Amino acid sequence: MSTEAIPAEKSKRNFNALFGLTLLGLLLLMWVVLAVATPSFATTLNITNLLRQGSLIAILAVGQTFVIITGGIDLSVGAIVGFATVIVALLINAGWPVWVAVLVTLLVGVAIGLFHGFGIVKMGLPPFIITLATMTSLRGIGLLMTNGNSISINSDAFQAFSRGLLLGIPYLFWMVILVAVPAYVFLHHTRWGRYLFSVGSNAEAARLSGVNVPRTIFMAYILSGLLAAFVGVLLASRIGIGNPTQGDTYELQAIASSVIGGTSLFGAIGSVHGPLIGSFILSTINNGANLLNVNTFWQRVITGLLIIVIVYFDGLRRRGK
Amino acid sequence: MTSTAQELHPPPMLEPGRTILELNGLEKRYPGTHALKPVNLAFKAGEIHAIVGENGAGKSTLIKLLTGVMPRTSGEVIWEGKPEALATPHEAMALGINAVHQEVVLCRHLTVAGNMFLGEENSRFGLLQQRAMVKEAQKIIDGLGFDLPAHVMLGDLTIGQQQLIAAARATVRGTKFLIFDEPTAYLTRKEADQLFKLIRRLKGEGVTIIYISHRMEEVFELADRVSVLRDGTLVGTRNIGETNDAELVKMMINRSIEQIYHKEHFTPGATIVETRSLSGKGFENVSITVRAGEIVGLYGLIGAGRSEFVTTLYGRHRKSAGQIMWQGKEVQVNSEHDAIRLGMALAPESRRDQGLCLNLPVAMNLNLPIYKRISKNLLISGSQEKAEADRQIADLRIKTPTRGALASSLSGGNQQKIVIGKWLAHGAKLFIFDEPTVGVDVGTKAEIYRLFSTLLSKGAGIILISSYLPEVYELADTLHVFRRGKLVATHGFRTASHEDILGQALAEKQEKSGGQK
Repeated sequence: MSTEAIPAEKSKRNFNALFGLTLLGLLLLMWVVLAVATPSFATTLNITNLLRQGSLIAILAVGQTFVIITGGIDLSVGAIVGFATVIVALLINAGWPVWVAVLVTLLVGVAIGLFHGFGIVKMGLPPFIITLATMTSLRGIGLLMTNGNSISINSDAFQAFSRGLLLGIPYLFWMVILVAVPAYVFLHHTRWGRYLFSVGSNAEAARLSGVNVPRTIFMAYILSGLLAAFVGVLLASRIGIGNPTQGDTYELQAIASSVIGGTSLFGAIGSVHGPLIGSFILSTINNGANLLNVNTFWQRVITGLLIIVIVYFDGLRRRGK
Repeated sequence: MTSTAQELHPPPMLEPGRTILELNGLEKRYPGTHALKPVNLAFKAGEIHAIVGENGAGKSTLIKLLTGVMPRTSGEVIWEGKPEALATPHEAMALGINAVHQEVVLCRHLTVAGNMFLGEENSRFGLLQQRAMVKEAQKIIDGLGFDLPAHVMLGDLTIGQQQLIAAARATVRGTKFLIFDEPTAYLTRKEADQLFKLIRRLKGEGVTIIYISHRMEEVFELADRVSVLRDGTLVGTRNIGETNDAELVKMMINRSIEQIYHKEHFTPGATIVETRSLSGKGFENVSITVRAGEIVGLYGLIGAGRSEFVTTLYGRHRKSAGQIMWQGKEVQVNSEHDAIRLGMALAPESRRDQGLCLNLPVAMNLNLPIYKRISKNLLISGSQEKAEADRQIADLRIKTPTRGALASSLSGGNQQKIVIGKWLAHGAKLFIFDEPTVGVDVGTKAEIYRLFSTLLSKGAGIILISSYLPEVYELADTLHVFRRGKLVATHGFRTASHEDILGQALAEKQEKSGGQK
């Protein structure tokens, strides 16, 4: 999946296309089955709802994928989402213009990413550890700032955004496209994208070839932090509150989406479209389970099992080629 | 298992002089190389048998076959009169064949005692008898005359002390046949003496020792017999009293110089780089000059400081003293980035660890240093990327199905061509090749040497590091000999004999004749 831009040998390319299609096929199959099995799935209301649900994780999964391609992991994105809802809520309620509030919130995400880069590059901490630390600390800081309460956002315009539709498609889903297109170009058609892969494949070889490895690592975590803060803004718009406990387990869903989409946790293998499809597969599972009245406790179990099955078959396919 | 039985009832002392292990046409082929040509050799019980040879002569292959790390291609290994398969390390250990490796392969985070009994822990009701094991280990260590505590973490000891522990560990396992692979590479003289004492004592107990070393004086100090390997062939075996180091050296390197060394002489141009008394970790006071159109060879044993010198020149490590002059001006090289910007290129020693992104496509590996050039405002020009890659693949004759194939799918020689080739398009002025032909076949070697000429003809300078004497001897316009972090001799193109150069690289105390300082 890693090398769209450099046409791979034919069989591999076909395989890549096939794999992308298979995931997409799986998603479409699920939709068809659900449309037949339940009367409420194929309704405008449900589809827009599904797109909204899936959008947030999809954007997170893209940032997460950048990090995983370098051989790292970002466990903090869920916490950043919750924290960002608090920041943007506080700023809007303090009377700041919405666009300034959003911009500052995004910068907070960038700062958190910078901190991760600092911890990994300068302090030599494993990515797992530094982002785990941020994950718990950010929630704590958010709770301290809000005293554990939710902050209602008093801006209707801000909240209206998440309900809005363009060409019948929710704004939130347009945001996925807004992120995905530049992300695709960045990963597959710029030299920094190449550097992400090279660092994940062999950091030493990359360094000896003149790649600025520390800067590449910083970049990956900054992008992940930025996208997580962006998701926080979108979530705040959707639920109309700032609450530091929001976005619980989002990091795991983002990682799962990325892995379902063909990203290798060992680094150097990944794409943009894979995680996007992966995240909508996850959302569809949840949505479908709700519609089919599956016990929510079972939903978690099923999601877990499906992750194992999908990634196992992906692994088989890779080895088989 | 059998090993336990042997430990409980140690065999009676072996009568000295009896053959304990016999190699009958033992042979190993890898795809593309014939690492060990059929070897016939008999080891006598209780002898210390030294094996010498250059890097790549087949010594490590022989060890790997004897310790069951790798399967042999053909031939027989006869252990105490019975043919043995020696298919796994476990099987070798069960027979009583053990090895002490140059690099310590023990667990740094366990105690000395924990390491000594690793895999054979003393436990009661499933609980480790820690105190008993420490006591037992201490008894063994004291018995060997090592002044080392058994309760400390192995990682807290020096590498040399760890090596002693590794040796001690091998002795407590019912060992009858013990292989030492350059055990003194990291030892101080005192530690080496302790080790020699241990080796002699094992010999006294009837254990057969294979001792592999580059250091002639150790061979003459310890061994009863010595065998010489060259290019995978056993050249001969001598009783130690009936040979001398001149003869051994001659046996080691006396080969026909194949027609693979393609040497063109260019008139040297302007000085590209000059180091003035450069010192750093692992080397000191090294002054060399590289001019356009010349190859400067750095010869020495592994660990002599050559790699450390060039990686410091390349900005990987900080220098501690001295100057680097680049095209006549003093420069600070604080990172690889600086070095590459100046116009240096390094093809590192270990292509798997340092040279290649194995799970990325060939094209990406080739273009990695030049992405800056073939992209505009970050955006990579796809057509240029393909064109550059295809040109490199054609110029270097890299055998790959397509430019999109993963680097890991190529053979070693073709991988090495990528490691070297990726710098050609970069347009560097100074090329540093660290062991560029390790593990590549003769044909690829010749191609790589021809590449050198191409580079030189374009006005570049080359630093060539090699542990393989003929390579630097036949190619270098100036040949510097390194020993223990110091530049000990300098020669012109083929102005010294192999024997002199090898002597300078090996000699511990006395200088051999012929080399000027």
